[in-house]
Amino acid sequence: METEEKAAESRLVGIIKRIWRNYSVIVMFVLILIICGIAAPRFLYPDNLLNILRNTSIVGSIAIGMTFVIIAGGIDLSSGPVLATAGAVLILMQRMVTADGSPAMPLWVPVLVCCAIAMGFGFINGAIITKAKLPPFIVTLAVGIIARSVTMRFCRGATIMGNKIPEFTRIGNGSIFKIPIPFIVVVLLALVLHTVLTRTKFGTYVFAVGGNENAARYSGIKVDRIKIATYMLVGLCTGIAATIEMSRMAAVAATTSGAQYEFEAITAVILGGTSLSGGKGRLIGTIVGFIILGIVNNMMIMLNISPYLSGAAKGAVILFAVLLQRRER
Amino acid sequence: MTNTLSMLGISKSFFGVEVLHKVDLNIEKSEIMGLCGENGAGKSTLMKILSGIHTQDAGEVVFKGDTIRRGAPPLEVQHLGISMIHQELNLLNELTVAQNIYLCREPRNKLGLIDFSRMNDQAAVLLDKLGEKIDPRRKVRDLKIAQKQMVEIAKAISFNVELLVMDEPTSVLTGKETKILFDLIVNLSDQGIAVVYISHRLQEVIDVCHKVTVLRDGYFVATRNVPEVTARDIASLMVGREVQESRVADFAGDPEAVMLEVRNVSDDLLKGIDFKIRRGEILGFSGLVGAGRTELMEAIFGIRRPRTGEVFINGKPVTIRSAISAIRADLGFVTEDRKETGLVMCRDIGDNANYVFWQKGKGLFNQRKVSSANTKRMIDRLGIRCSSPRQLVSNLSGGNQQKVALAKWLLSGAKVLVLDEPTRGVDVGARQEIYRIIKELAAEGVAIVIVSSDLPEILTICERVIVMHEGRITGELLSSELTEAKIMYYATNV
Repeated sequence: METEEKAAESRLVGIIKRIWRNYSVIVMFVLILIICGIAAPRFLYPDNLLNILRNTSIVGSIAIGMTFVIIAGGIDLSSGPVLATAGAVLILMQRMVTADGSPAMPLWVPVLVCCAIAMGFGFINGAIITKAKLPPFIVTLAVGIIARSVTMRFCRGATIMGNKIPEFTRIGNGSIFKIPIPFIVVVLLALVLHTVLTRTKFGTYVFAVGGNENAARYSGIKVDRIKIATYMLVGLCTGIAATIEMSRMAAVAATTSGAQYEFEAITAVILGGTSLSGGKGRLIGTIVGFIILGIVNNMMIMLNISPYLSGAAKGAVILFAVLLQRRER
Repeated sequence: MTNTLSMLGISKSFFGVEVLHKVDLNIEKSEIMGLCGENGAGKSTLMKILSGIHTQDAGEVVFKGDTIRRGAPPLEVQHLGISMIHQELNLLNELTVAQNIYLCREPRNKLGLIDFSRMNDQAAVLLDKLGEKIDPRRKVRDLKIAQKQMVEIAKAISFNVELLVMDEPTSVLTGKETKILFDLIVNLSDQGIAVVYISHRLQEVIDVCHKVTVLRDGYFVATRNVPEVTARDIASLMVGREVQESRVADFAGDPEAVMLEVRNVSDDLLKGIDFKIRRGEILGFSGLVGAGRTELMEAIFGIRRPRTGEVFINGKPVTIRSAISAIRADLGFVTEDRKETGLVMCRDIGDNANYVFWQKGKGLFNQRKVSSANTKRMIDRLGIRCSSPRQLVSNLSGGNQQKVALAKWLLSGAKVLVLDEPTRGVDVGARQEIYRIIKELAAEGVAIVIVSSDLPEILTICERVIVMHEGRITGELLSSELTEAKIMYYATNV
């Protein structure tokens, strides 16, 4: 009898543990919302919440792609600079006008080119990493430095203004039923990529490659192709992020556009519980992760704390989150 | 006689599950004690409690008449004179032999810097005592695996050890190296050191130990004096039932139905290998470690590229350049190291079982319904013990992990299945089940190649055996003419 009770008890503990393991990020998220609401009641105003969603969408988009790369055991440090390069090309094409002052080409052309360039960078990253067998950290760092420098040359180190036509600025600044368009874009992207990650063979192989590259290879998985695909995917997401970012300001700044975005994205992925050693992770976690980052930024303003300290707050949040995840193991 | 070590009523639970139930273990001075049990019987946990890695929930450990402080950390235990050599060697590859032996205890000179010449001299004396000629200034990276183990032993006895625990020390050694190790163990025992020897290889336990203690499911079962027990007795104590081991009849299928033919495979190691296997045949590959058996299988499977060689399946030539082309040609390969090349440990049973199935199928999606039906079928057929198909492979026991590795290739519909060391690190019960599955597959017409260093295994299951020595086939034996002596004769090529 006693052992049965014990077994039932341990089963219950097991269930609670499983819930915590799978949903700890969401539990934390709700806690953060409550704490923020108490600390600054204005925080919970719908306008403020929607504003947070709008602001986090750019890094969020990159973070969604980054989740794939990290699950496959890689990392991409070039996303920020690549966003600037792809964005600069977008602005340069978008501001071209014909003699009568109307845009030289329909808007979808520069947007497509922007995404293609970002994916191109992803392909270069992936190809060098897999074919030359170099560590992703170094390859993407170098490619990022190159991308930033190329952007500075394009823009001659300055800020270039785009053509402020409403159809363009609406992408980043508009809303549909009060929901910010950038957030709608990111949610759609996340839905599609969540399906890809969980329901397709590709998604399963991404986990396998990150979990044990050798075993994946012995199972016939084309490891190199999977890796390259993940870098191209984060490229595509960076291209989408670039489109949103450029449309918000209708301008690109050679030195500051996309600066630090790669780190913010990686932070969001880690906050979401994805393991940096690969093989484990969930997109839902990443989404909560980047929203938490947005909340931290927002609370700095709400509580009237110097924005210079936002890095300190984010660093503390990362350490706290990673500590919690460690204790679960 | 007084006991060097007494472990009394040791109990331990992990996450509410008791894995050791009031276990006793007594060891006298100079005694070599074998510790046997299936995987999960609690051997490792007991030894980890002894060496201070885990802390017991109840019971006490008495060493040389003094109770060891509960919760004493490993370093403290080591200084008392208890050392443990783990199955996976814990050496730093980039440091020298002497640096590894004296790690964190390096002799200092007057300036407080490491006195390398003194350290190397001390290490040389130590290694000399073990009868091993290794230059203490060599980097561990450059040593053979048997030499690395000697370094571990040297490190252990440098602590003035009185009790040495060795966990599966021979799993990576060749026959000759094992012999040297056994001489060394006896030598240590003559010097008054007690040894706990953990192994799945029961014959070895009989060969080297004075006594054997058997654990089962966390319970103490028995301690027996060695001349009075046989390997078979230990095996039955371990599983609690008689282990059936029968010799096999010669292959009785169609001798013309050649499923796989390999011609003239050569590379740096392999020298002109030819062999055939027929539909439904179980063919063993025996030989010493380093004979090139695994390399041959990797060459056939497209993992390594041989310089020359042709492969025919069902009489048709096939070109295999990578694992995926081997899979398309209906080959399967259960590798010898499931953690490195067999399984993705951080994924669940379902994923691992279906990887190759997905490779062979068409379409983008992973067809959850089909794949989970696949997984359920395999769990039932192979008797994989798990809480659910979503359980992570890393949480399974060795035997169940091996079954998952097998499931991957059963689902691929492989017609030729290579199993490299199919029961390494697998407990006796699961081993019998794996043999049963292999026989079933052969009966269904799958051609099965078994690479094994475990001679009893070869004798138990193979209908024909090819023996290799240094990249060449040196002998071929039908099961009717098979003896361990004949295999060793060819394997050593004397």
